[in-house]
Amino acid sequence: MVSHYLNMKRNFILQAGCIVFLLFTVSHAWTAEAADLSTVSEPVKASDQAAGGNGSGDDAWEDENWEDEWESTDTIADPLEPLNRFFFHFNDKLYYWVLKPVARVYAGFFPEELQIGVRNFFDNLRTPARAVNCLLQGRVRDSSEEVARFALNSTVGIFGFGDFARDILGLHSADEDLGQTLAHYGAGGVFYINWPILGPSNFRDSIGRFGDAYLHPYMYVDADWEVIAGAQALERVNYTALTLGDYELFTETALDPYAAVKDAYQQYRKGLIENK
Amino acid sequence: MMRKIILHQKSLLVALLLIMSVFTIDTGLSASAPDNPMDRLQVAVDDILKILQSEELKGPEKKGERNQLVLNIVADMFDFKEMARSSLGQSWNTLTPEEKDTFVGLFTTLVEQRYIGKIDSYNNQKVLYKKQRVKGDNAMVYTAIVDKDLEIPIVYRLEKNKGKWLIYDLKIENVSLIVNYRRDFDSIIRKEQFAGLVEKITKQIEKSETSD
Repeated sequence: MVSHYLNMKRNFILQAGCIVFLLFTVSHAWTAEAADLSTVSEPVKASDQAAGGNGSGDDAWEDENWEDEWESTDTIADPLEPLNRFFFHFNDKLYYWVLKPVARVYAGFFPEELQIGVRNFFDNLRTPARAVNCLLQGRVRDSSEEVARFALNSTVGIFGFGDFARDILGLHSADEDLGQTLAHYGAGGVFYINWPILGPSNFRDSIGRFGDAYLHPYMYVDADWEVIAGAQALERVNYTALTLGDYELFTETALDPYAAVKDAYQQYRKGLIENK
Repeated sequence: MMRKIILHQKSLLVALLLIMSVFTIDTGLSASAPDNPMDRLQVAVDDILKILQSEELKGPEKKGERNQLVLNIVADMFDFKEMARSSLGQSWNTLTPEEKDTFVGLFTTLVEQRYIGKIDSYNNQKVLYKKQRVKGDNAMVYTAIVDKDLEIPIVYRLEKNKGKWLIYDLKIENVSLIVNYRRDFDSIIRKEQFAGLVEKITKQIEKSETSD
């Protein structure tokens, strides 16, 4: 038991080291990119903005440029496109052939209220990661709210099945993860990755996901990997049962579903990063 | 003592006047409903919900009639021409007037299909109207729909066209419909030009119509 613990600890330090190293690479890649842009075409625009900003100090929100504000998502590089498209189709088949039929049966057995409870339960397990990431972004208040939510929902909310903290005390969850923390400190997405099974992501968010896994209770319970894999499959099936039809509608009214999903991921993450 | 009370009353009066003036500036216009984007949106959404909840229009055999009534309201709320133009980006300017007309028609049907598809799954979810921001002829209306115990934010962007507020984009969970279609269309145009895009949309529409 002790040796197991030590092993885990050593592994943790090793992998934490890897993450820090990767972080540096990412942030450097990003600064290089930014420097590139600023030398080519930005100076004129930047000074324009500065002048505009000074003139409208009174009601900043009224004078911001809505057009830019609304549509300023940049496209992300996609050097792995052929591979990404392959896994997109793989995941698409996985959805229609496995996930959807299973989720339909599941939804037939378990009422919606229970599905919501299961979703809350799994969501509650991600609270430690959210609390730490709030803290890393300097949001002490949100972080302490997450801690309070975890304490309340795990107990009074019965293992997180109920969202007591939100319903009774109005404590809302702050949807933060390591990918957003990295973005907060200037890291870009670098390039798009469509993982098999896991779905759309990018380089930065993949590292984030990996790092957040260390703050997940799964890491600290003495369970077999089969049990953990089973829990993850249940979470996925439950989520699919709650959102049946959404994926179909979105991909069926898109012309190039791969491109549409890639962009939707970009826009969605940007919204989360900017906390809109 | 008396002086203090009078002073107090005076400040109350000032506060009251201030509040009233704020109301006349902000919501006083709402008396003439269409001039306020949030009210106009709310009226339209309520009308759609009435159709969806109507006992007379229930059942799968009434689906066509129901959808047509919803689409009439949608057509009155959305600025499809502006949306189509915006979703094509730069490519719009290279089109002939006939091509533009064709594209607006196809784009309208495509968006209608997505809208109708979404609305079919409506199951008494609550719609919340949070706030609006108006600047001249532009407005944003912040709403949310409560679905399965979660609040999903939907922001509408409106523009006043000939005295009428019209929607020309919406963001669901921060994903803009127009930006998303632009990236989608771009990906087709880059490989197959505009002709390829028209062909793809036509096929897509036929496919959804036959699957209904």
